[in-house]
Amino acid sequence: MIGLALKMLFGDTAKYLMLVFGIFFATFLILQQLAIFCGLMLWTTSTLKNVNAPIYVVDPQVSQVNETTPMRDTDVARVRSVSNVRWAMPLFNGIQRVKLDNGAFKIIQLAGIDSASLAGAPATLVEGKLEDLRLPNTVIIDKLAVNFLSSDPDKPIKVGDQFEINDIEARVVGIAESMRSFTGGPYVWTTYERALQYAPPQRKMLSAVIAAPMPGVTLEAAAAEIEKQTGLRAYVNRDFSFDAPDDFNTMTVFWFVKNTSIPISFGTTVIVGLIVGIAISCQTFYAFVLDNLKHLGALKAMGMSNFRLSMMLVIQSMTVGLVGFGIGLLATAGFTFTAIKNGAPFFMPTIIPFAVFAAIQLICLFAATLGIIRLSLYEPAAVFRT
Amino acid sequence: MFSKILRYGTIVAAIAGIYLMVQALQAQAKNQPVLGGDPPVMPPAKPFKQSVAATGILEALSENVAIGVPLPGLVTEVLVKVNDRVEKDQPLLKLDDRDLEADKLSNQAQQQISRAQITVSEAQLAKLESQLQRLSAVTDRRAVSQDELENSRQDVAVSKAQLVAAKAQLTVSENALKRINLLIERLTIRAPRVGTIIQVNVRAGEYAATSPKTPAMILGETDKLQVRADIDEQNATRIRAGQAAFAYLKGDPTITFPLEFVRIEPYVIPKVSLTGSSTERVDTRVLQIIYSLTRPTDPPLYVGQQVDVFIEAPDRHKKQ
Repeated sequence: MIGLALKMLFGDTAKYLMLVFGIFFATFLILQQLAIFCGLMLWTTSTLKNVNAPIYVVDPQVSQVNETTPMRDTDVARVRSVSNVRWAMPLFNGIQRVKLDNGAFKIIQLAGIDSASLAGAPATLVEGKLEDLRLPNTVIIDKLAVNFLSSDPDKPIKVGDQFEINDIEARVVGIAESMRSFTGGPYVWTTYERALQYAPPQRKMLSAVIAAPMPGVTLEAAAAEIEKQTGLRAYVNRDFSFDAPDDFNTMTVFWFVKNTSIPISFGTTVIVGLIVGIAISCQTFYAFVLDNLKHLGALKAMGMSNFRLSMMLVIQSMTVGLVGFGIGLLATAGFTFTAIKNGAPFFMPTIIPFAVFAAIQLICLFAATLGIIRLSLYEPAAVFRT
Repeated sequence: MFSKILRYGTIVAAIAGIYLMVQALQAQAKNQPVLGGDPPVMPPAKPFKQSVAATGILEALSENVAIGVPLPGLVTEVLVKVNDRVEKDQPLLKLDDRDLEADKLSNQAQQQISRAQITVSEAQLAKLESQLQRLSAVTDRRAVSQDELENSRQDVAVSKAQLVAAKAQLTVSENALKRINLLIERLTIRAPRVGTIIQVNVRAGEYAATSPKTPAMILGETDKLQVRADIDEQNATRIRAGQAAFAYLKGDPTITFPLEFVRIEPYVIPKVSLTGSSTERVDTRVLQIIYSLTRPTDPPLYVGQQVDVFIEAPDRHKKQ
């Protein structure tokens, strides 16, 4: 029966290709758009990935990581005084302007970290030494800045090169791996004290306090204790999750989903992909069933049950779905490799291919159902009439 | 034949797609930044289960003395170096005293005049006295008139008074000289007590003002240090006298030393910002606590260094 179904499917190469192409197109469109959306949303939380700390303590008014409401310097000592806190360090975080050799201005994400412990330092250095950050007027830049902050594309910035942040000299002592920021500016790390020199003076300058819990205390418990004792807002820095109101990543992504039209744009494309997939596959599959109605009718006249015939159609449509989905994955994988190489906003959570596979199979089942309805209405005697 | 290739081609492409997607997901996972982990230099472990954290600064015990000058003037000589151990009243620096030296010269000339005046007066007195003696020795009343004799006696009395006046003049100029010497002496600044010179801010040739922004010198006791810890007023209620405390040197959290409680400053002061910006507005006040510690030989500690202080204090029990 399976052999017969597949023989019937592959018999008409043009229709088969058309069916596969429809599914391929829908798969690729949905996967690629969802991954770009996830990638963009991930970029909004890049500070949380690049300034490595388990707990972020911020002003109660702050609702996402790119927004800073400065706190008082003594708030570091207040967070440090909470029993469940292993350590707490100051963090400056903000967008600053950099002047290049040729006078051009670029924006950067400046991160000022504690000079003694270097808590919040980049996890992976490609070049240079982290300890050199304690030398005067030094910064660590990320790999993006190597070309971004260079005035001459042929001469990327090296360790030892200099540029100006708000008219103050900054000497590069290291290059780090980092995640790109949503604003497009590269990340630049320096010590907290120097970051205050670079940034224009304000009454309060402390953007956040980063902290870690005592061994044996969960992040959530420590964060709750900090909130209770200090009245500040403490967020944990795990990863995006749908049911984690205390996670800074989640809150930041939700803020962008609520306050920007990014999800509408991507959502529309995904829906268009679904509609196109449904339309093409249903229409083509229905035409395919109509074409083969005679053969199916003959089988029915020969005494094959409606259930077995339906199963044949289901096998055919699911085969098409599987092949089309596989080719869609091939294209998406190519896209993924290119995106990783070029640092484009692209992130494919593992759940998405599975979810899209289920959606595609549902579309195929729907198309098969239409065919099954048509077939069940077909009288086997009609075969002999023509 | 061609349709067969197409048929199998699509199936092969689909299988390749699944395989490559798995590879792509693995590559993507590898490309994600690593989260978590400890800071490069682990901050100090808290010494107590429940504690109040503060920032502090190392000071010389019994506070640092900012040495002042009595008069604004040019510094002519600096007699001590940084780190010198000084005794009480040891000269530290000298100010320009040439105007007083000049006064002294004219005063000395004045004294010589006064002395000469005394000599003159004495000679005069001697002369008049011998005259009077000679007149008195004449027994013949006709040879010397009564009037003449009386005149000569008065002359001697006047001359005696003149001598006293000349001597008084000398005393005046002698006292003036003593005064000038005292004033000159005042321009040599001496150590008010035993200690070590921590900072010297003037050099010979510079102008020392009476109310400068930076004192001319800072004198302090560096064998015993004290820590002045700033505690946010919101944590001030958790502080009691005599609570145990530990300090960690900023920059090297491995160096720790126990502190001995001295006193709580009774006046809560506005926080002095460590960013040093003079335009900064005060938005919090801090309670200061003084702790003392004996200066360890190794590692060396210096006055003015910042420290992180942990004070054992029970958690505030909030009423829910």
